[in-house]
Parts: sequence; C-alpha cells; structure tokens
Amino acid sequence: MREASFHRLQHRYAPYLFVSPFIILFSVFGVYPIFKSLLLSLYITNGPSDHVFVGLGNFKFLLGDPDFHTAVKNTVIFALCSVFLQLPLSLGLAILLSQKWLKGREFFRLAFFAPQLVGQAFVAVLFGVLFVPKFGIVNQALAAVFGMPDDTKWLQNPSLVMPALVFTSLWMYVGFNMIYFLAALQGVDTELYEAAKVDGANSWQQFLAVTVPGIRPVAVFVLVTATIGSFQLFELPYILLNNSAGPNKSGLTLVMYLFQTGFVSGDLGYASAVGWTLAIGVLVISLFQMRITGAWKGDNA
Amino acid sequence: MPTFPYGKAAFSFVILALVSGLFVTLHRVEPRKTTLTMWTFADTHYESYRKALPAFEAAHPGVTVKVEHVNIQAVTSRLQAAFHANLNVPDVVEVEIGSAGSFFRGPLEHVGFLDLTDRIKKSGLWERMVQSRFATYTMQGHIFGLPHDVHPVVLACRRDLLEKAGIDINSIETWDDFIKAARKVTIPGKQYMLELSDSGTDNLEVMLFQRGGGYFDPEGRCIFDNEIGLQTMLFYVPLVAGKDKIGSTLGSNQILTQAVEQGYMLCLFAPDWRTKSMERDIPRMSGNMALMPLPAVSKGGIRTSTWGGTMLGIAKKTTHPDLAWELAQYLYLNTADLANRFKDTNIIPPLKEAWNEPAFKEPRPYWSNQPLGAVYAKLAPQVPPQYSSPYVVTAKAKFGEALVSCVQYYNANGANGFEDYARKRIKQSADEVRRLVARNPYHKPQGSEN
Repeated sequence: MREASFHRLQHRYAPYLFVSPFIILFSVFGVYPIFKSLLLSLYITNGPSDHVFVGLGNFKFLLGDPDFHTAVKNTVIFALCSVFLQLPLSLGLAILLSQKWLKGREFFRLAFFAPQLVGQAFVAVLFGVLFVPKFGIVNQALAAVFGMPDDTKWLQNPSLVMPALVFTSLWMYVGFNMIYFLAALQGVDTELYEAAKVDGANSWQQFLAVTVPGIRPVAVFVLVTATIGSFQLFELPYILLNNSAGPNKSGLTLVMYLFQTGFVSGDLGYASAVGWTLAIGVLVISLFQMRITGAWKGDNA
Repeated sequence: MPTFPYGKAAFSFVILALVSGLFVTLHRVEPRKTTLTMWTFADTHYESYRKALPAFEAAHPGVTVKVEHVNIQAVTSRLQAAFHANLNVPDVVEVEIGSAGSFFRGPLEHVGFLDLTDRIKKSGLWERMVQSRFATYTMQGHIFGLPHDVHPVVLACRRDLLEKAGIDINSIETWDDFIKAARKVTIPGKQYMLELSDSGTDNLEVMLFQRGGGYFDPEGRCIFDNEIGLQTMLFYVPLVAGKDKIGSTLGSNQILTQAVEQGYMLCLFAPDWRTKSMERDIPRMSGNMALMPLPAVSKGGIRTSTWGGTMLGIAKKTTHPDLAWELAQYLYLNTADLANRFKDTNIIPPLKEAWNEPAFKEPRPYWSNQPLGAVYAKLAPQVPPQYSSPYVVTAKAKFGEALVSCVQYYNANGANGFEDYARKRIKQSADEVRRLVARNPYHKPQGSEN
C-alpha cells in the first residue's frame, strides 16, 4: 500500500523535478534580475551596499536629462532610417533577386547576406577604417567620383555621424532582412499573379494586390524586429566611435547611455530607470506597429 | 521496495552527480603557495612586468605572481562589478587615469582599494615622487593609488620639414611664436602645423592643464567654466576653426603614420608614452623627428602639461596587503628595473631618483639624437595636477560638447560675439555636470551647498 502511494507520488512530482533546473535557472537569471532592476530604478546606487531610496526620482530626473533626450533623439532617428530605408531596400533587393531571368542571383544573395556573418564589432572596425578622412576609401571614392573634398570627417563631425551609422547598418542589415522577404516571396501563390494578370492588373497593381498581402506576416515580423533591434543599438556606434558617444554625443543611443550610466558612472539605479523606460517605449511602439499593420487579425487580415 | 521510475541508468546518474558534487564541495583544495594576481591593461606594462617578476618571486620563496593582461574597458567594468558584488578581485591592479575617479563614487569607507596614505607617507614616497601625480588618485585626503608615471607633454615635430621651411624649433618660446611659425607652413587641406581635434578634448585639455585649469578643483567642485577654462577655449577654437586654423586631425594608428610621413601634420602633442607608439608605428621617420617643450602661454611660463596616466591600486579585499605593497614597491621603485622599462616604453617614472640612471640620458637616433629621457625628466616636476572626481568622464564629454558648439559658432560667425557665446556654452556644460554631481548622496564637494 505504502509502496503504491510512494510510486504515485513519484509519478506526480517527477515532471516538476525534471523541469525544475529550467525553472530555477530562469528564475535566478531571468525573473529575479527583472524585478531587481525594477526595484533598483527607485534608488540612487553605488553598488548593492550603498543605495538611497528616491522613489520615482530617477524617472523624474530622466525627463529633464539632456543626455537622455539626445539618446532618444538619436535612437529614434536611427530606427526611422531602419524602417524607411532598410526595409524598402531589403524588399526591393529580394524582389530583384527572386527574378528568374537574373543570372548569378544565388551569388548575389550570398554576397548581400555575407556582411551579417561577420558581426557588428567587425563591421564597426572595418568602417572605422573606411571612413577615415584623407586616406579612407569612402572619402577617396567620393573625391574621385564627385570631386568632393577628401578630408570629410565622417566620425568627427557631429552632423555626419548619424549618416555614417545608418550607412554602415544598411550595409550590414539590408541583406539580412532580404532573406526574410525572399522566403516570404517564395510563399506567395503564383496562381494569384496569373489571376491578377487575367484581370488586367499591371506590375505595380500586382505588387500592391498580391505581393504585399502575401508577405504581410513576414513584413510585420521584420518591421517589429528591425525596430526593436534599432532601439537596442549598441556595439556598432560604440566601436565605430572608439568607445565613445561621438562628437557632441551625436552617436549616443539609449543602450549606450544605459551602459555609460550603469557601468562607467556606476549608478545602476539610474541605468535601471533608463532600461525600464526603454523597454516600455519599445513595447508601446511594437504594439502600435502590430496594431496598424493588422498583425492581430491573423489569417483573416 | 520503491523503484526509481526512469530506470537504473538514470538513477545511477543522479547518485553520481550528488556524490561528486558533495565531494567537490567538501574537499576544496587550498593552494599551498601564496599567489598574487595582478591586472594591467597596457601591453607594454604587461611585457615589462613579465620580465621583472621572476626576480621578485625568487626573492619571495613560495610566492607566485600571476600577471594578467585585461582590456582597458574591462578593467573598469569587471573591477567595479567585483567590488560591488564582493567577488574575488585581483590583489593588485593598474587603473587608467580617466576611470580612476569612477571608483570613488560611493562613501569613503566603501572604496574598494586599500588606503595607501600612511604607507606612502611613512616610506618617504610622498617626497621621492612627483607629488602632483597623487592628485588624481586621492579622495578626501586619502591616497588610493600609487602613480605609475608622470606623462609630461612636449611637441613631437617633423624637424626636417620645419627646417626646410626655415623654422627653428629651438627659437619657439611661446604659443604666439608657434602660431606665427605655423602661418608660414599651414596649407589648408594639405598641411597643418599641429595635430588638433575640433571635436574631442584630448588636445584641448592638454592646453587647459598647462594653463593651470582642470575639470575639478581639489575639493571636487566642477570648475571648467572658470576664467582659465574660458580663456583656453577662446585660444583653442581659432586654431581649429575658421579660415586661419593651423590644426586638424585625421585619426590614429595607420592613418597617423601616413599623416606624419606625408607631412600632413608637422607637430603632435607627445606625452612620453606616445613617443614609443611613434617609434613603433612611424619607423621611417627615424632621424627626421625632434622633440620640443610645449610653447609657454606667456614668456617664462610652464613648458609642459600632462596627458594620460595609470595608478596601481591594492584591493582592500586582498589577504596579503603587505606582500601586495612589497610587489608595488618592487615594480615602481626599483631604479634599475625602471631604467630598463623606460627603454622599453619611453615612460618616465614618477620616482625622481630614477631619472639619474644612464638610460634616461642616452641620445635617441629616432629623435635626432636628443636624450629623450632627459627632455621629459627636466619637465616632469612642472607637470600640473589633475584632480579626481567620479564625474571626470562626464565633465570631459560635456567640455567636448562645448568645444563642438564653439567650433560651429566660430565657423559660422568668426570672432564676432564669440567670447559671450563661449562663456555661456561652457557654463551650460558645467551646470549639467553640477546637476549630476548634486544627485550623488555620497559625493558632496567640500564647501558645496548642494
């Protein structure tokens, strides 16, 4: 009798035992840090031993912090460029490279995707050399082709830092997002194009009426992930601008600001406040994007 | 008898894991030897310490020193995290001057480094070393670091090209003389007299320190918007902006090599450590380069400044503080080793008696046979102090923002209304720093009302 009940208990609790490593690890390294950072955001800190409760003081200070404003502005500009330049370019490239008449399209697919393989740190170091005034390839090419001065300071002039960053990220990510669009394009039913042709639709009308609805779920995914990725931008500007925010903080992004306040200035409380503000901002923007693109309407959309 | 529901094999694994875990936990092997761990961020320091340490170990049987080369950013972030989380920290660590202040953010009693004040005063090091170098590593009168260097700044010049242009660097005494000479040789877009940045503060702060200014005063108050800061900005901006500029910059490493070789830059600010980089990166200029003391602000004024620095700190948590202090003294006070290290790094130690070693007087062919060590050693006692604050990095960035704005203004409007604009813009930057400082409950500048 006792044996049977022990056996029953084992069967009942064994699954919990086996999922417990994940639950414990997730709680320790996932849930606890999230709640701890929320708690930290209510303190001015110097490590765990020194902290002073300020309530919402960190968030209040954030609202009047010019560096935070600069970081928000830079991040939003970068995100807008990602959405309005990167995604159309990726889609255009995907459409071009899905054309059967194009010779060597497999090679071009690989070539455009290749920058993604090397990682942001490598790309940042590479473009740091390419953008050098006087002797860098970018300046020399611009001087040779357009007769522009060869000493343009892409990474030292505050008004040129953001274009340089956007250009670098386009080089890196256009090919990456192109792969998603290529996969989506291959999933669009070719019979729909034939039906549209029969109905007299031209290429543009076919694109709007067949292609766009066909790739919409993937496009929404790419849009949301590209936006979130833009708001998380860190390594690229940090390395490209030589471990700094660039002249006049022109390359300061929100995550860079979070890193600086938390790990250079040492105020983990304020950094947590920045982090939570960023997380809430990204959540709101993502929800907004999903709403306006009709992502929640599912297959009926 | 109850059986394990997933079979004998799974049961054996669980038992094995439990037994081995218990064994490892209960039988921790204590190291038989005393091991001191040291972190350094500079590859030149790392190599020279590796050469010097066997003698220290031989003199201390049973002691091993493990020197680790850690990335400069990682030293700060890893050490701060280790101090905060009360984790294992290295016994001895070298910290770069720019990040030293970040370790003094909290209350004095929670600084992770050992207070070295008594040891320094009792051993006579206070008198034997260049005293201004202790300033950055001092918090509320307590010294937490031993200075590794002095880093006086001179100008490294393309002697051959300047001579060709009829300029004798020995005749230049003040910045006015220098600018007059610069007008002769500067060709906008092709050749500049001096490497000067219009967006970063490295060169600007060399001039700020030379004039006796700084980011903070000894009491920790932000002062870069005082009259010295303003005058420095008013002097500096026309050198990098407007039609009469004499300075520009391209970047570092390979680009600097080309810029110097091709004569794009004729002079560069050269703290001692940078001369070794030039010898290594621009070897073809050997014999064409020469050093000159910084031009003075006015006749008879200071002919040097400072750029960069390193401190050696001992972690408060070390279990061997006396041994760590012995190691620090061995590395920083042994004159014969310092002379050898000078040959490897060109870095002048702050220990004044070391400068009498023959190595510091040797002529250097790269520098047109000038005695590099003697040139720097002569200037070392005049090196101005840089006072410490946890907000130095922020202040530097804010001063840089003011510089960029002033450059933009000067490019658009020239000298018209520039002084008023610069005064307001620098004050705005300094006020932003003060606003941050005022938030810190542990860091109240002495005499501050905040």
